[in-house]
Amino acid sequence: MGKGKFAKEFAKGIILANPVFVLALGLCPTLAISTSIDNALGMTLGVLIVLLGSNIIIALIRNFVPNITRIPIFIVIIATLVTVVNLIFHAYLPATYEALGIFLPLIVVNCIILGRAEAFASKNPVASSIADALGITVGFMLALLMISFIRQVLGTGGLSVFGHDLFTLPVLRDHPIAIFILPYGAFLVIGLLMGLFRRTGVMKSE
Amino acid sequence: MPAKKSALKNAFPIILLTIVVTVCVSLLTYVDKLTREKISAQEDEAVKTLLGEMFPEMSRYEFKDEIYTIYSDGDQLGYAFLAIGKGYGGDINILVGLSDETTIKGITIVSQTETPGLGTRIAEPAFTDQFAGLAINEVALSRDGGQIDAITSSTISSSAVVEAVSETAMEKVKKLKENQ
Repeated sequence: MGKGKFAKEFAKGIILANPVFVLALGLCPTLAISTSIDNALGMTLGVLIVLLGSNIIIALIRNFVPNITRIPIFIVIIATLVTVVNLIFHAYLPATYEALGIFLPLIVVNCIILGRAEAFASKNPVASSIADALGITVGFMLALLMISFIRQVLGTGGLSVFGHDLFTLPVLRDHPIAIFILPYGAFLVIGLLMGLFRRTGVMKSE
Repeated sequence: MPAKKSALKNAFPIILLTIVVTVCVSLLTYVDKLTREKISAQEDEAVKTLLGEMFPEMSRYEFKDEIYTIYSDGDQLGYAFLAIGKGYGGDINILVGLSDETTIKGITIVSQTETPGLGTRIAEPAFTDQFAGLAINEVALSRDGGQIDAITSSTISSSAVVEAVSETAMEKVKKLKENQ
């Protein structure tokens, strides 16, 4: 595979097939964790590891897997991968494990992973699938950072990343708009951003 | 033998799924075995660090009946135990230290899943430091006549911590007295 194709599969995940805003995949974890930049980065790290692993494995075995059992096979592989990553992090990277908390196990139900396995890795060679996994992860990260930034700033009146206070807003600090931190705030922000991107033509529905 | 071949073909998805599951289960069992010791050592270490922060002079501790008894050489420094509060977003695990059978030494929020930016502030010193040195029966929110100020717009999280600390402390003290 040429460099051009790798770059194309990579770039596609960021805007044209952005998992959150265009494909509308992985919305449950996005709604749940997009309350702070820390959470967004933690979730991205987890998705990166699992998506890369599952895309590679599934692209490798794609020619043997019969259509009828492909979904259970993908799910078993993804769940195993998540559990293995979870155990290894817990044993060898306890600080990262603490920071990722519930996000690591939650990746099992992140439909981005199964979505990419089904839509891409099961039909494409390994190299393209790696490019796809990386591109989708970057797209997911950008979407999460955007949503988290808006929710954290409006909902808590400031921005702090990994314990460092970056800035606080004068009035909002004392009167944060709590709705943005709560679950329905996530719907509001995602909906508005999605609408904005479609309206301005930056991203189109597939 | 077309019939036999098609039977095999029909069985293939099931056989493959069985193989995949077997491989995955073996892998999980193996990784679990590989990491189990390390994980439990990790957890012991975490408990030790938390207890050490609460009782800086601690040299060793004993764990019996879900109560940690803290010693500095021969002297008994106090007790510690876990309390579980029913928060807004799930369980709040709190490590409670007692300097004797009536006084709170301090509390540490071990884990929680409260609303970020609001309820999560129960883990900040501004909230937890209020507990240090209080008598167990003074542990209540100020609106209920106690000594603890709730966090603005996080009353559920605040009172979950307060209730868990006071109820569990009373229960553990009762147990300590029975054992003496």
